[in-house]
Amino acid sequence: MDENKKAARKKVVAHGFMMALLIVLFVIFIFPFILVLINVFKNMGDITSDPLALIGAHGFTLQNFPNAMKSMGFWGAFGNSLIVTVTSTVLTLLIAAMAAFVIVRNKWLACTLLFSGMIASMVIPFQVLMIPLVSLYGGVFGVLNHRVTLILMHVGFSLSMATFMFHGAIHTNIPLELEEAAYIDGCTRWQTYWKIVFPLLKPTIATVAIIDAMAFWNDYLLPSLVLGRKELYTIPIATQVFYGAYSTDMGLVMAALLLAMLPILILYLFLQRYIVEGVTSGAVKG
Amino acid sequence: MKKKVSLAMAAAMAASVMTVSAPVMAEENVAITIFNSKMEIQTVLESKAAEYSAEKGVDVQVYYSNDTVAAHMGTRYASNDPYTLSMVDAKDIYSLGPDHAIDLSDQDWVKDTVHAIEVDGKVLGFPVCVEARGIIYNKDAIEATTGKEFVPTDYATLDAFKGLLDELVAGGMTTPVGIMKEDWSLAGHFLPEIYEEQEDVDAFVATLYDGTADLANNAKFNAKMDTFDVLMANNYAKDYAIAAERNVTEQMLAEGQIAFMFGGNWDWSVINQYDYSENMGMMPVPQNTEDGTNTKLVGGGSKYFFIDSSDNTSDAQRQAAKDFLNWLVYDEAGQSFVVNDCALVPAFSNNTLEVSDPLGQSVKAYSDAGNLIPNYNYLPDDHYSRCGASFQKYLAGQIDRAGFASEVEAYWASTTPVEH
Amino acid sequence: MKRNTMSYKIQQYVMFAGLATVLFLAVVIIPLIYGLYLTFTSWDGVSTQRPFVGIANYIAAFKDAAFWQALGRTFIYSAIAVIMVNVVAFLLAYLVTSGIKGQNFFRAGFFIPNLIGGIVLGYVWQFVFNRAITSIGRALSISSLSIPWLSTPNGAMACLIIVSVWQYAGYMMLIYVAGFMSVSKSLMEAAQIDGCTKTQATINVTVPLMRASFVQCLFLSITRCFMVYDVNLSLTKGEPFGSSVMAAMHVYNQAFTYRNYGTGQAEALILFVVCAVVGVTQVYIGKKGEVEA
Repeated sequence: MDENKKAARKKVVAHGFMMALLIVLFVIFIFPFILVLINVFKNMGDITSDPLALIGAHGFTLQNFPNAMKSMGFWGAFGNSLIVTVTSTVLTLLIAAMAAFVIVRNKWLACTLLFSGMIASMVIPFQVLMIPLVSLYGGVFGVLNHRVTLILMHVGFSLSMATFMFHGAIHTNIPLELEEAAYIDGCTRWQTYWKIVFPLLKPTIATVAIIDAMAFWNDYLLPSLVLGRKELYTIPIATQVFYGAYSTDMGLVMAALLLAMLPILILYLFLQRYIVEGVTSGAVKG
Repeated sequence: MKKKVSLAMAAAMAASVMTVSAPVMAEENVAITIFNSKMEIQTVLESKAAEYSAEKGVDVQVYYSNDTVAAHMGTRYASNDPYTLSMVDAKDIYSLGPDHAIDLSDQDWVKDTVHAIEVDGKVLGFPVCVEARGIIYNKDAIEATTGKEFVPTDYATLDAFKGLLDELVAGGMTTPVGIMKEDWSLAGHFLPEIYEEQEDVDAFVATLYDGTADLANNAKFNAKMDTFDVLMANNYAKDYAIAAERNVTEQMLAEGQIAFMFGGNWDWSVINQYDYSENMGMMPVPQNTEDGTNTKLVGGGSKYFFIDSSDNTSDAQRQAAKDFLNWLVYDEAGQSFVVNDCALVPAFSNNTLEVSDPLGQSVKAYSDAGNLIPNYNYLPDDHYSRCGASFQKYLAGQIDRAGFASEVEAYWASTTPVEH
Repeated sequence: MKRNTMSYKIQQYVMFAGLATVLFLAVVIIPLIYGLYLTFTSWDGVSTQRPFVGIANYIAAFKDAAFWQALGRTFIYSAIAVIMVNVVAFLLAYLVTSGIKGQNFFRAGFFIPNLIGGIVLGYVWQFVFNRAITSIGRALSISSLSIPWLSTPNGAMACLIIVSVWQYAGYMMLIYVAGFMSVSKSLMEAAQIDGCTKTQATINVTVPLMRASFVQCLFLSITRCFMVYDVNLSLTKGEPFGSSVMAAMHVYNQAFTYRNYGTGQAEALILFVVCAVVGVTQVYIGKKGEVEA
């Protein structure tokens, strides 16, 4: 009884300590974001003179939001970003998970080559590829200025990391016995993959989905190279009108940032459930 | 293998092209694209372009990029997708023009400007505006502190200027100066004045290249650096000069907490975001010199349009682009657009509208009186960043004047001459 | 089913990895080869002339002292940042999977820094370093805090590391969280029934099983740090006096600002080879251990 109490008290203390640590870290992490939140309701003068003031000398203003939305053509850009991000993410997940499966389960030369190539390609600075890429697809094939081109390129560039992550997940977390049982039951590899392996990858799928969706949603460089027409602009390209070498309206930039980050936050909160769900509970059921 | 892949690729891409409906453009209208590299006029240029399109039956689309001009142009040309009209910096006309720009020598406006850029006997660059460098002052703040009328021309010499600074300090403005620590300001704008104010600029630069120049004993170098030392001594951010933020400095100048800052009329686009004082302006950098350079600003044409010469642009588009340039120079609406909407100082003598912003007014006055020392447009591309790093060391007190001089000399000696 | 014939293998490979292979070749490998070709020309990035110059660009790159300095600096920065990112990320992941109250809320909070990029990031952190910290320093009269860190080379490096940790820790946390979650709860429970404390169970059961997460996070953080560009640009722009120019920024400037496209491209390839060697070695070691475990 006494022992239990002691243990319980110890647990409470440990819990309290962890909570305190979390809160401190949380405040540090969130502080820059709070600065953005405070300053988005001020005009440029108040932002520069005192970024910490809750309300600027010129008072509270909501004006940055409509101004930013208007000059960046928010809804059009939002639609484009949505199409590009969703399609690219789904394609990346499907293609990378399949490739990772065949790579993990077979020691073929082609698999080894592909996987090493992918790993190595993850450290290519994008600047190396950007001019050759546009020379080829713009100069030779002339397929720039289409969303599909951007989507396929997004997928091509993000495949490496996604495959790498799925590779790790399949390698460590998917028991071979499960698959073998399925083969004995008469499943083909294709069926086994979709019925057994893919569902078990849920946490990784969610993780890769959020990481890639965020990368696609916020990517500036590649879309700016591929989409040279205004009606195709995604949010990051549309917001570049706020940045200049000699002047930048921080209020507009922050408003655009907040508007742009909401969808990703929502997606994150939604996907979190799957990341948390865990693999083994699924395995027992499946 | 490679062939197969490229075939598959081409097929994939072709399929993608077909599934996406390309935006349908009315064919009878000529459509041109304009690349704007002056961010502060983007909004007005866009709305004016819409008006212009409706009026003239030419579809004009304006684009902007926050990449460096050279990088952006590089990608657009690499992808065979150039703009009809591109606004670039002077140095880009020299590097891009011969390959990518058409000859504009036959255009009427050539006779109305002294700022157009000519390469190998062809006019390739259309000047967008005039910009100049000097000391920006806040007259209201100075007068409020000293209680006397401020006449900028009284302070051409460093001695007089120092006297004024002391008065300001005595009057309670303890640190009357702001210094931008950005490398483009220090070594892209201030340092070049040392070359530009030499008697024979090209000859001087040649001595820099061949290593015979002796900056430490050069009168101009020392005169300018004496002035810079005085600016440094009165810098509001003296203790952390190298971490001073540009926005803060400009706001302090605009609102009169400091009185002086070295800069140019483009700084107006930052100053006007704050509660700026009514009476501001630009004056030459004070110097103890007899050569008259302390009565002039340094500057000239800034930002140039060129028209694409490649097969991607049709003759009809080129004509529409020429029409647009002519509209800027000769149409009343175009003239008013440059001066009133964009708040630029026009580069054409026939545009006599009054410039709207105070810094621009100063520049226009000096320009009209023939008191502009021309820009030197042939600095190597890495000059501002390499020499800027040295200048920042000087600003931070890490090296002395002799050390700075020898670093700049070493930079020049190690670089390949820019041909022109 | 004939599982050992060539045609079966090809059919399987194409079915599962065909699309991946095509896209990967089309988007990454072919442009890379073309880029490699460009390093043998003296192209300036915009001209129509692309004269062939052999290995002159590589010689220029090897002679470019600023590049090697930037690369050395990048090594130091990466070494410190990678360790700190992973320590913080692992700690965060541990805390937010410990069943503490409001852990979902915390997870979202730690993830937010990923969403603040570009110029806002630079602006906000410059404010923090230049003004918030200095005013605290002055108020408490601590001299090391009252001078802006961004004004000294070492300080600027420290700032870069701090911001990188802030930015990447939440991202890596996500992967560690997935790792924690993939370790069977029943294993943990079994260990605890066997008399392990929770901490012991974590160290002895969970951590070894999370090897894949460690390999992934280390690899990702190493490559990200080696190629750091955005944070570098928006926070320090290489200043003060060029002392915080990292390798990727130098490469970008060389190619586009100074218009030595061929040299910049050659330097980028050298950077690539260096990263590849470091990254692949790390993955190789990590995977080897995995087989043993």
